[in-house]
Amino acid sequence: MKNIFLACSLFLCTLAASNPVETGHARASLITNLQDSQQESFYVGVRLEMQEGWHTYWENPGDSGSPFEANWITDQGIIVENVQWPTPVTIPYPPLMTFGYEGDVVFPFKIFRAVDSNLTQINVELDFLICADICIPERASLSLDLSSATPNPLLDTAIAKLPTDFMQTQSFIDGENLKTRFQSTRAVETAYLFPRQDDLFVYMPSQELVQLSEDTYEISVPVLNADMGFFSGVLSINGEGFQVEEELQSVSNMSLWQALLFALIGGLILNLMPCVFPVISLKVLSFVSMGGDDNTKIRNHALSFVGGVMSTFLSIATALIIIRSTGSMIGWGYQLQSPVVVGILTLIMLGIGLILLTNINFAAGLTTMGSSVQSRNDYSGSFFTGVLAVVVASPCTAPFMGAAIGYALLQPSFATLPIFLALGLGFAGPYLILALKPEWISALPKPGAWMETLKQFFAFPMIATALWLMWVFMVQTSGDALILLLILGLMLGIAIWMIATFKGRWKWIGLVVTLLVAVQIFNTLPENTNELEVDASAEKWSLAIESDLQAQNQAYLINFTAAWCITCQTNEKTAFARDRVKEYLKDQGITYVKADWTNRNEDIAIGLARYERTGIPLYIFWKPGMHGSKILPAVLTEDLLIKSMQ
Amino acid sequence: MKLFLNLLITLSITTASYAAEIKLQNPATNFQAPNFSVINSYGQMIKLTDFAGTPVILEWTNHECPYVARHYNENNMQRVQKIAQDAGIVWLSIISSTPGDQGHVNPDKANALTASRGARPSHVLLDESGKVGMLYGAKTTPHMYMIDANGILRYKGAIDDIGRGMQFFNAAFEDATNYVSSQVNDLIAKKSLAIDVTTAYGCSVKYNYD
Repeated sequence: MKNIFLACSLFLCTLAASNPVETGHARASLITNLQDSQQESFYVGVRLEMQEGWHTYWENPGDSGSPFEANWITDQGIIVENVQWPTPVTIPYPPLMTFGYEGDVVFPFKIFRAVDSNLTQINVELDFLICADICIPERASLSLDLSSATPNPLLDTAIAKLPTDFMQTQSFIDGENLKTRFQSTRAVETAYLFPRQDDLFVYMPSQELVQLSEDTYEISVPVLNADMGFFSGVLSINGEGFQVEEELQSVSNMSLWQALLFALIGGLILNLMPCVFPVISLKVLSFVSMGGDDNTKIRNHALSFVGGVMSTFLSIATALIIIRSTGSMIGWGYQLQSPVVVGILTLIMLGIGLILLTNINFAAGLTTMGSSVQSRNDYSGSFFTGVLAVVVASPCTAPFMGAAIGYALLQPSFATLPIFLALGLGFAGPYLILALKPEWISALPKPGAWMETLKQFFAFPMIATALWLMWVFMVQTSGDALILLLILGLMLGIAIWMIATFKGRWKWIGLVVTLLVAVQIFNTLPENTNELEVDASAEKWSLAIESDLQAQNQAYLINFTAAWCITCQTNEKTAFARDRVKEYLKDQGITYVKADWTNRNEDIAIGLARYERTGIPLYIFWKPGMHGSKILPAVLTEDLLIKSMQ
Repeated sequence: MKLFLNLLITLSITTASYAAEIKLQNPATNFQAPNFSVINSYGQMIKLTDFAGTPVILEWTNHECPYVARHYNENNMQRVQKIAQDAGIVWLSIISSTPGDQGHVNPDKANALTASRGARPSHVLLDESGKVGMLYGAKTTPHMYMIDANGILRYKGAIDDIGRGMQFFNAAFEDATNYVSSQVNDLIAKKSLAIDVTTAYGCSVKYNYD
């Protein structure tokens, strides 16, 4: 044996080759599964039987070590493919971690031969690092005479165990971890993701595994570099290996400053979105009516409004941070996924509409509740209008906002708060300016009787909003539940009427009775949401759909939408439902996919997270030839939608 | 209540696992290099801050590791040490092998190795506890770190571009790009280096993991 070793170190191994070879801490040999001499492709395996306690390495050895190297010497007409790595195991040397093989391992190499080539001797020079606590480079020159070799079943066993199947995964970067989700119908006892690339991950003794549902699991791998665009590796599930490979969409390419700027602009534009507009208009009217008042009062009202807006955004941010800390995936507008919240909002809208329409002095009867009908010196009215404006704004997303909120919710907590405050600042911006320059109010039209008329008119956008919310409520629940909600609306109407009409004791008795009945009905409102109707014209979205369609070279347009998302609904009408758009999709053979987030859906939340979003609308387009998919604008028209797909 | 309970559980698990964990740190390049104090082969306490105003190169080593052995047997490491020494750079060879493990040496043996190999370290540091190694995230021998005169970590990684793989034992050092010697001038100029992070290759550092 020693002679062979010496011969090898002089690079004259081929002559001294034999089979098997004792290398020092292992016995190396060549085996084959060649059955008959006519076969054009077969396998040759390098078998290493390592001594107890010794190991060699996988293609990515981990923190230290080295994969083996094989130099084949063959006759013409025979091609040896690269090694097919068996599923590795973790070999921990805390705090270091290495990946490799222990005991008896076979490395299969696929061989192709030309039909007319001779089946002769096949030779390999094998260099490998074998380690226990210490490492020793060993080598062997092996040869196998293919004309006389007998098939070794060990090789077929090794080939059968190779990690050749691809596992469909969904991964995203969450702070300092790569989270990879996969499905397994069999119970997962152990799982480890072996990364193929160097220097992307921290190699841990174990990776946190969470079972998300009956067959969905999530494994967390700490990352060194959150900017990875792509990773590949072997996922070992109960010791069985699968190939994983994924392009990560959500590469954080936004800086905190950019996100803050986006939040500011987004907040400002939010004032013009359909859901907030009526509330804001009322606020503007109330300022107009203050036209003759002194500047201090105007300033105080404006500041109270700003205060209401800011504190609401602060509360929302805090709530989101707390919810996120429990590990839930959340997003903007997510509260509307609860029918109870939608129901309450419906009643608020309805209430405001009724108050505006009847023009009753609600304030005189009850503490002011964020309507325009406020006593002139009561700043809490302005404050609550601010709160209300934000509450009704929640179903809307303005351009720029999606990206900013997405950033806020997927970044560590310290970034969440400032972004929400910037959003509030943008939203309250016009009023903040008014607070600084109250004299500018004189630029607005003079107050007069037209205001009362306009104020009454604004009851209708409010009631329209209520109607829309009722529709959302019905989509989420059922027609029966909607009737309950309408009865509650009726009770609300009665209550408002009583406050306005009665005086003294009777008013309170009536109110308490109404309230008790209302609470009784409210408790019967369903909490659970029903199955959503599937849009027949669109493919149903799934986590894997993008990789599937890309694999088929199939262009696609994905529409992340929800009944409660009014920006989405507007886009549906102004773009997606148009014939030209439908024809364009058909002509170009673009698959139209719809992800309906009306109800709580963890998968869709993950899908959004891949684009660094936590809210909707989100429109994704891809066609063959594009490197990655493209995010379309949040506010779409027919022309814009078609143009952005060209 | 459930939320509060969850928070409490998470918190207690986090604290518990921190207590038991042996963890490699991962200092970032172009930031202050972590300070350390450790005994040298003459029994003196050496601190990184002792060399403030001078660039410092750290070399993790283990004389029995085949990778290190080849660098020294072929005079490659000594050549780089000389370039550093001539440029006025402090060279610290650090041994983080735990007592009883490969590469662990007593002070006399450390000095004898320096003499017999013609090595030129400014100090050989005996980091038996592995404290310094883990502070720097040293994974292999060799594993190199370059720190400029302002104490900024400028480089961490392999000594050269031969890299992982068995080709190391056949490749010629003359043909390789040595990341340390080729970047000495920029280190002295206190500039950020063109190549600042690479994957170190070699034997694992023999930390005390039992």
